[in-house]
Amino acid sequence: MLVILGLTRRRLLTTRYTLGWLGVGALVALAAMTMPFVGQLGKVANITPTAVLLMISSLLLLAISIQLSISVSLLQERLRTTAEAHALLARRVSDLERPA
Amino acid sequence: MTKVVVVIPAFDEGACIGGVVSTVRMGGYECTVVDDASTDRTAEIAEQAGAVVIRLPINLGVGGALRAGFRHAVDNGADTVVQVDGDGQHPAEQIGTLLKHLDAGHLDMVVGSRFAPGGASAPQSNPRRAAIRVLSTTLRRRGGVSISDPTSGFRAIRDPLLTAFATNFPHHYLGDTFEALLVAGRRGYKIGEVPVEMRARQGGQPSAALPASVRAMLRALTVPFTGCSFDLPPRA
Repeated sequence: MLVILGLTRRRLLTTRYTLGWLGVGALVALAAMTMPFVGQLGKVANITPTAVLLMISSLLLLAISIQLSISVSLLQERLRTTAEAHALLARRVSDLERPA
Repeated sequence: MTKVVVVIPAFDEGACIGGVVSTVRMGGYECTVVDDASTDRTAEIAEQAGAVVIRLPINLGVGGALRAGFRHAVDNGADTVVQVDGDGQHPAEQIGTLLKHLDAGHLDMVVGSRFAPGGASAPQSNPRRAAIRVLSTTLRRRGGVSISDPTSGFRAIRDPLLTAFATNFPHHYLGDTFEALLVAGRRGYKIGEVPVEMRARQGGQPSAALPASVRAMLRALTVPFTGCSFDLPPRA
């Protein structure tokens, strides 16, 4: 959590992702603190408490990577549109700069 | 009142682009070359040959270059675009044939086909031929469009499809050809084909190596089931 806060302060992470990662940290910590309850959950499914904890963490990581893939896809589309607009503007500028 | 612009997407086509642009200009057409962040002198050569050149700052792929070209054409008052490859395999002398067919059939898009009766191409490898057949069948069954050469990049496109493409056009490999045809067909645009004689590429590199082709093929074939990566407004 300290690492996440540090990264945010150095502006390597935007607030949006800071909140996400802090949430993940909090959830995993919560699961660890309520191990007896987690153990009960495990008994229902007939697996050890550790396995339940691992399962929860891997599901969270999966969710985060899917979310990141969505973000990257969106960014690709935006980058493409921006590159296109840049190229068309550059064309217009050089047409205007050409001596009449 | 129609205005036709020939759009040529080009990546490192310095060896051929000059000849292609000259042929197009000799036919009396306006010519826009979209330089897809080439590392050679493609842009300069095309400009000297008489084309308007748009230089993309980063490589966007054929579909990305095409959308930029369509946008530019539409912004400059064109209602018809003929798309030609920069590597010299398309017969730029036959642009008129595509346009005539577009008018005669009141079509939205005409594809120049190597495999229609009367068309011709450089010899194709068997897997390539088979892949094209599979795509053609998929297109007929899923999109209701009968095109014998769905990967052809020699096409004439007219409004309202042109304006739609200027906003929505896929940029991945096979997206600009197969998927664009599929979506246009499903949305009710009228598409036809004419036989053309294509040559072997005159230079430069093919746009996709084998692994990329296989991946693109897999994606193209799942498209009818997973849905397309882009959409168009229905034909009015």
